[in-house]
Amino acid sequence: MTTKSIDLSLEIWRQKDSKATGDFETYTLQNISTDMSFLEMLDVLNENLTREGRDPVAFDHDCREGICGMCGAVVNGIAHGPEPETTLCQLHMRHFNSGDTLVIEPFRSRAFPIMKDLITDRSALDRIIQAGGYVSVNTGGAPDGNAIPIPSTTAELAMDAASCIGCGACVASCPNGAAMLFTGAKISQLSLLSQGQPERKERAMAMVTAMDKEGFGNCTNERECEAVCPKGISIRNIAIMNREYVKASVLG
Amino acid sequence: MAITGCCLVLFLCSHAAGNATLFYSTQLFQAYADQLHSHPLIVSVFSKGLFLIFAVHAITGSLLFLQNRKARGQGYKIQTRAVKNSQASSTMIYSGLLILLFALIHTAVVSFGDHGKIGITISELFDSFFVSIFYLIAFIGLALHLSHGFWSMLQTFGVNHPRYNKLISRLTYVVPVFFLLIFSAIPLLFLFGTGQ
Amino acid sequence: MELKSNVPAGPLADKWDNHRFSSKLVNPANRRKYKAIVVGTGLAGASASATLAEQGYDVSTFCIQDSPRRAHSIAAQGGINAAKNYQNDGDSIYRLFYDTIKGGDFRSREANVYRLAQVSNNIIDQCVAQGVPFAREYGGTLANRSFGGAQVSRTFYARGQTGQQLLLGAYSALSRQIKAAKVTMHTRQEMMELVLVDGTARGIVTRDIISGKLTSHSADVVILATGGYGNAYFLSTNAMASNVTAAWRAHKKGAGFANPCFVQIHPTCIPVHGSYQSKLTLMSESLRNDGRVWVPKKPGDTRKPASIPEEERDYYLENKYPSFGNLVPRDVASRNAKEQCDAGKGVGSTQLAVYLDFAEAIRRDGEATILKKYGNLFQMYEKITDSNPLDEPMMIYPAVHYTMGGLWVDYNLMTTIPGLFAIGECNFSDHGANRLGASALMQGLADGYFIIGNTIANYLGSTPLDAVDTEHPQFPQAEKQVQDRIAKLLKNSEGGPEGKITVDDIHKELGLLLWDHCGMSRDKEGLEKALTELPAIQEKFWKHVYIPGSGEELNQSLERAGRLADFLEFAEIMIRDALAREESCGCHLREESQTEENEAKRDDNNYSHVAVWEYQGESKEPTLHKEELSFENVTPSQRSYK
Repeated sequence: MTTKSIDLSLEIWRQKDSKATGDFETYTLQNISTDMSFLEMLDVLNENLTREGRDPVAFDHDCREGICGMCGAVVNGIAHGPEPETTLCQLHMRHFNSGDTLVIEPFRSRAFPIMKDLITDRSALDRIIQAGGYVSVNTGGAPDGNAIPIPSTTAELAMDAASCIGCGACVASCPNGAAMLFTGAKISQLSLLSQGQPERKERAMAMVTAMDKEGFGNCTNERECEAVCPKGISIRNIAIMNREYVKASVLG
Repeated sequence: MAITGCCLVLFLCSHAAGNATLFYSTQLFQAYADQLHSHPLIVSVFSKGLFLIFAVHAITGSLLFLQNRKARGQGYKIQTRAVKNSQASSTMIYSGLLILLFALIHTAVVSFGDHGKIGITISELFDSFFVSIFYLIAFIGLALHLSHGFWSMLQTFGVNHPRYNKLISRLTYVVPVFFLLIFSAIPLLFLFGTGQ
Repeated sequence: MELKSNVPAGPLADKWDNHRFSSKLVNPANRRKYKAIVVGTGLAGASASATLAEQGYDVSTFCIQDSPRRAHSIAAQGGINAAKNYQNDGDSIYRLFYDTIKGGDFRSREANVYRLAQVSNNIIDQCVAQGVPFAREYGGTLANRSFGGAQVSRTFYARGQTGQQLLLGAYSALSRQIKAAKVTMHTRQEMMELVLVDGTARGIVTRDIISGKLTSHSADVVILATGGYGNAYFLSTNAMASNVTAAWRAHKKGAGFANPCFVQIHPTCIPVHGSYQSKLTLMSESLRNDGRVWVPKKPGDTRKPASIPEEERDYYLENKYPSFGNLVPRDVASRNAKEQCDAGKGVGSTQLAVYLDFAEAIRRDGEATILKKYGNLFQMYEKITDSNPLDEPMMIYPAVHYTMGGLWVDYNLMTTIPGLFAIGECNFSDHGANRLGASALMQGLADGYFIIGNTIANYLGSTPLDAVDTEHPQFPQAEKQVQDRIAKLLKNSEGGPEGKITVDDIHKELGLLLWDHCGMSRDKEGLEKALTELPAIQEKFWKHVYIPGSGEELNQSLERAGRLADFLEFAEIMIRDALAREESCGCHLREESQTEENEAKRDDNNYSHVAVWEYQGESKEPTLHKEELSFENVTPSQRSYK
C-alpha cells in the first residue's frame, strides 16, 4: 500500500435544476491522496468550493460501501468509472494518475431526468418494481421456511440476480437507454424461485410493460450494462426475461 | 428483429447452397436457376415473402434505431465503450444499411435481369473490377452484421445458458466467416479469372 | 414524565399472547379511515408500512433518499438470528431470549426481548415467502451459521448481503402496496418537525430535498423508523444521511430519550487513514471465526508483520480469554484493541490498528476454503486498502456502528408522546447496553412486521381522536418554526465565506470530542471536560458556519447543517447520560468501574434501570428519569468470557 498525492483536472457537468440547461465547468485539485475514494475526492472539491463561496457540486451518495446504489456518475465515458464491478464510492484514486483530466457527467437517459448537477431522478426503476417485482404475500400466514425447499444452486443463481443495487448504471451506459438488465434481474430472481411461480406470467408482462411505459429504450444486446454493472449481473438475466416474456405473451 | 433475422439467416443458407453450384460451373448454376424458375409459384411466394421479411427487418431496425436514440437522450461528452470489440454491435444500423443498398442493386441486376442467361449475367458482372469490390465490401458488411446479429438473435430468443454458451460464442465467429467465405469466393473466383 | 412500561401480566412466555388478546382491535372496514405516517424505509419502516397497508390503514411513508430501497439496513452483512433450531443444536426461543438479554448486559426489558425471540421465527418464514434468496444446504433446506460468538448456529444469511436481501424483500412488499395505492410514498423528503395537537402526535412537517418546499402532513399516528445516531461521531459505519433529527425533534416535543450513551463500537472495521475520510467501512464479524487478532509485543514495533516472529507477537484476545478467544463479544474485542493501541502497540501508519491474521487458517484449511468463506470480504478489503489479506494480515480498528439507545418506548413501542411510535434502531427497546451480532435485522423486522400492527390497533381502538387536518393552527406554526430555523442556519452566510468554517469542519470537531471522551471508554473527568467544551463548538457552529445557496433549492450543505445542529444539541444528553451512569455495562465502560482484572464491572444495585432524558427547554439542563428494570425470569450475572 503506497500512498501518493496526485493533481487532477476535473470537468464536471453543472446544472442548476431540472429546467436549466447545464454545461461543463473545469476545476483543478492538488494533492489528492491516492487512498481517497472518488467521492472523498469530490468532498475535497466541495469543501474548496464552499470556502471560495462557490456552489458545491451536488451528487447523490449514502452508504459509501457499494451497496445502497445511491451514488453514480459517468467518469470519462464509463458509468461508475474505469474499475470493473466497482461503484463510484468504492473507486479509489489510486486508479488515476497525476495530470489526468476526469470528465464527470450525470447518468443520462430520457427516463432519468437531471435534478441538479450529477443528481438524477431514477424513480422510474421503482415504478418497474411496483408493477410486479414482488411475491404477493401478506405479512403473517407464511409457511415454515423449510417447507419451501430450494436447491442450493438455484438459491445461488437467484442470489446472483438479486444482488442488483438499483443504481441505474445499466441504463446510463446502454447506448439505447434500456433498463433490461435491471428488470431482467428481478424477473429472473423470482422466476427461478418456487415462491415466484404463481405470478410468473403476470409479473413478466407487467414489468416489461411498465419498463416500456417509462421511456426506456430497447435492448440490442450491446452488453454495456453487464460490463459496467457494479455487481457483475449477467445479461443471462435478460435472456431469461425474454424467455419469460415470450412464454407469457405467446402461451398466455 | 430476431424472428425476421432468423428467417433471413435461413434464406442466406439456401442462397449460399445455390451459389455453391457456381464453384462447379456457370452451366450448373444456370441449370439450378432454370430448375428454380420452372416452379413460378414457389419463386413468387418465396420472393415476395423474402421481400416482406427483409422489409420488416429493415424498417423495424431503423425504427428501433431512432427510438433508442431518443431514449438515450443527450449523449456523453466522452464517447467510449466499456465492452471491448463492440464495433459490430454499435454499427448494426450502418452495416444494415449497406446490406440494404447492396440488396437493392443486386436484385435490380440479377433478379430482374434475364433469368434465361443468368449464368452469363453473373460472369459478365464480375468481370468488372469495381462491381467485384463492391460485392466484397458488402459481404464484409454482412459478416460484421452477422457477427453481432446471430448471437443477438439467440440472446433475444432467450438462448443463454452456461452449458451452451461456449458453443454459441464459437458460432458467432463460424457463422459470419462461413457466409463471408462462400459468398465472396464467387467474385474472387471471377476476379482472378478462375470462374467459368 | 411518566414511564409506564405497560408490560402485560402473566408468565413470560404468555405475555405477548395475553396482550394481543386483551388489545383492542380496529374493524377491517374502519381501518381505511385511519391514517398512519411512517418516517423511514429501512427494515422497520418498510415492513411496518407494508404491513399496515395490507391490514387496510391509509399509510403515508417518507424517506430521505431517492428510493425506499436505499435505507441503511441495506448495508448489514452478516445475517439475521431466529430460534428455529433447524440445526438441532439446542437452540430455543428461551435461549435466544437469554443470549440477547445477557449480551445486552441485563439492561433491557425482559418482556420485550422475549417477544423478539418469539417472533423471530415468523420473520424467517415471511422473508422466505417473499423470495429472499437465503443460503441453502444441498438438500434445499435453509443454511445457518454461528455468528458473533453464539454457541448455536441460528443465523440465517444471504451471502454477505443479508441486510440488502431482507430490505429488498420489505421494499418489494412496500412496492406492492404503493402500486395498490394503499401507501403514498414520498421520497427525498426530510422530516423537520413533529406536530402535536392536544399533546398527541398528529403529523409532521417535511422538507422536499429537491425544491426546499415545506409541507405539512396530518395523521392519526406517527411512526418513526429513522435509525440510529452513530453519525454524531462524524466517522461511523452509518450511511452519510443517517441522522438523529427526527428523533431529536420528537424529543424536544416531549418524547423521552433512553440510554443515549449506549453506542456500539464494532471491532472489525477498516482503520482510518486520513483526515479527508468521510466514513468507516465495516468488515463482517464472521472474519473473527478464522482470523487471529494480534499486535507486536514490543511497543512501537514498525517491522512488517511477516518479519515479526511468532514469539514476539501478542495474541492478546486468545491469551486473555482462553475459552472465547477471538470470538469475545463486540464490546470486549473493541475495548481490548483500544487498550493495545493506547499502550503503543498499534500497527499501521497511524498506529491505530491491530492485525487480523488468516495465515494459520490458510495453512490449516487451504486458501480455497478460506476464500470460499471470506472471498468477497477480502476483495472489499483489497479494493479499499490495496492490500491482499492472503498475503499480509488485515488491519482492523473499532468504529462506531450501532446505537442501542433511542427513543424510550413502552411494550407497545409507543414513546412518551401518545400516538408517536418508534421502531427499529430508532427506539431503545431490545438490545440493552450491547447488541449481539445478527440481532439488528431481527429487531427491525420484528417491530415492523409483527408488533406495530397489533399495538397500533390497540391504540386506535382505545383512544378517541378528533378529526385533525393540516388546517389546524399547530401545522402552520410548526412550519413557521422550521422556516425560522432554516433562516437562522443561513443567516451567517450572507457576508460570504471569509473567516467562516464549513459544516464538516465543525462536525469533525464534534466527532473527535465524542470519540475521545464518550467513545470506547469513558471517565468522569473526560466526560466533564467534554460537557464544558461542547457549548463552544455549538457557538462556533451558530456564529461561523458558512452554508452556500438558499433554502429554496436542492442544497446539500444546508441539509447537513440542519442535521449537525441537532447532533450538537443531542451530544449533550449523550455525554450527560454517560456521566450519570457510573457503572460499566455492555458497550459503556467507565474507567472507574472495573474489576481487579480490568474487566467491566456492572453495578446492579444502583444502575439496573433505563435512563430516560426529558427535554426542559433551550439552555436548560435536561432531567433524568429512571425506569427500573426487574428480572423475574433470569438472574443478572456478571458476564465473563474468560
